Amino acid sequence: MNIRLQIIVAVIIIIALAVIINMIRKKALELRYALAWLLVGVGVLILDIFPGIMEKLATALGIYSPVNMLFFMGFCFSLIIIFVLTIAVSRMSIRIKNLTQELALHERENKETD
Amino acid sequence: MKKLIIIPAYNESASIQSTVEAIKRDAKGFDYVVINDCSTDQTRNICEENGYNIVNLPVNLGIGGAVQTGYKYGMKYGYDIAVQVDGDGQHDPKYLMEMSDYLLETGADMIIGSRFIKKEGFQSSGARRAGIKYFTFLIKLLTGKTITDPTSGLRMVNRDVMSFFAHDYPKDYPEPESVVAVLRSGRTVKEIPVIMRERSGGVSSISLKKSVYYMVKVSLAILIEKIRPRNGRSR
Repeated sequence: MNIRLQIIVAVIIIIALAVIINMIRKKALELRYALAWLLVGVGVLILDIFPGIMEKLATALGIYSPVNMLFFMGFCFSLIIIFVLTIAVSRMSIRIKNLTQELALHERENKETD
Repeated sequence: MKKLIIIPAYNESASIQSTVEAIKRDAKGFDYVVINDCSTDQTRNICEENGYNIVNLPVNLGIGGAVQTGYKYGMKYGYDIAVQVDGDGQHDPKYLMEMSDYLLETGADMIIGSRFIKKEGFQSSGARRAGIKYFTFLIKLLTGKTITDPTSGLRMVNRDVMSFFAHDYPKDYPEPESVVAVLRSGRTVKEIPVIMRERSGGVSSISLKKSVYYMVKVSLAILIEKIRPRNGRSR
């Protein structure tokens, strides 16, 4: 992996991290859900700055180019984040259902006592 | 003995009035509640103008969420028996008395009104019957019990199952899956022959396009229900 690519990747990640942190600051993102993104960003940044780690990992996994290793890791991280979000969506849909039902029953009860 | 009829209704303005009037006429001793699943037509207005007992969901939840609201209503107001009657006029309320007698007599936890015991009345299309047969087979395979009409929406439960359902009920296409859940929990399910009519209004929630999703989803749901940790009666 050459130094030019390393710098490009680092710049992209730093910009992305800055955007994420800014959104958390403005409360557009909840820290709870943004945490995974921050960890991925920092993780990829570390791998980018120290290509030696990646070369070792790539050799161990039988991947020829460290750049491919970086993409592979990014892909795995993304899948993890998407899965975490799917779990969050499932939980929220149950909560919304329960709230909707409670609200409807409550409204019915209030109408009765009027 | 307090008995509740749960009528889930989504855009049933064409048939909701006749459904409720038939219940008032033919199901003496039963209270009813219409669960309006955020209909976009006149269902709500028709019910309110006629002074029907109605619970309006502020967000569309789908059939499972609507029926579960009914079970929660039943728990809240202390009902002993709850029965689901679809708002589209397919279910004849004159069977309800027979069903509740049978439930009390046999001590079963759940009674399903089945079209396929006597094979009379509206029998649904061939493709749907094949699908239903397949579910019967799958349920028999997994629980050892024969349920001839696992997709029937006409189902009566005692308070024990009511609390079970109020706590946990499948979201979409809930019928076959919930029967398996009840059987798996060690409760008993019995069937009684009924004659169903063709729907008098509205459209079936299962269009041809959705039927593939239906088969796959319900099959998976039944299989997953089988490997779920058992929920005992004490729940």
